[in-house]
Amino acid sequence: MIQKSDDIIIKTLARILVPFIQIYALYVIMHGHYSPGGGFQGGVILAASLILLMITHGVKDTQKRISEKAVAIFSSSGVLIYAGIGVLCLVLFGNFLDYSTLAKILHVDPAHARSYGILGIEIGVGLAVMAVMFSVFFDISQGESSGEDKEN
Amino acid sequence: MNEFLFSIGIGLCILVFFVLYRVVYGPGVFNRIAALSAIGTKTLIILLIIGFLYNRVEMFIDISLVYALLNLIGTLAAAKYLEMEGVKQ
Repeated sequence: MIQKSDDIIIKTLARILVPFIQIYALYVIMHGHYSPGGGFQGGVILAASLILLMITHGVKDTQKRISEKAVAIFSSSGVLIYAGIGVLCLVLFGNFLDYSTLAKILHVDPAHARSYGILGIEIGVGLAVMAVMFSVFFDISQGESSGEDKEN
Repeated sequence: MNEFLFSIGIGLCILVFFVLYRVVYGPGVFNRIAALSAIGTKTLIILLIIGFLYNRVEMFIDISLVYALLNLIGTLAAAKYLEMEGVKQ
């Protein structure tokens, strides 16, 4: 099990660095269609910030900030956003994920509707990837501790 | 200028192999972790040099920032794992 670190340098570093990492992750998600990156990469960076918090501040302090229930809600709402936009395009007489049909709702020309549609998809993918990555890391660290307990 | 950057990039690529020797044969785990971290830093600089060569630095800065970040977290996680093992013994 990952324990709380006593090293003040590492803890201070993590406390200062985590907000900047998260802002950078949001930048990667938002600029996914202009520059390298996108939903998956931004989600991984968001998860990396949470993993850094978990490594330095221990499992309990991290769970105070983001509980397992919140992780489950985030992952399923990310998938819901992704599939919801896709089905919305189907409902508007287009193909699945055919963003240009969103122009009827958003009252913009089809090119802008495509841009907004991709942005929505990337936000959904980012949320889902962040939650799933974090939950995989969390489950692995928990499983290790239970195995050690059995050995002892 | 491009030839200068290109030669520096080639030199860094060769230096990576010297550090890789420490990773494979290095005595002790700490040498290996430090060498891995050094390889990450070299990769970051090589990425930036590639960005200058292609005249698209603004794209490659994003990638190298992520690389630096994941390198830091990876090194921290390895150090944390070692600390855990030490507690058990």
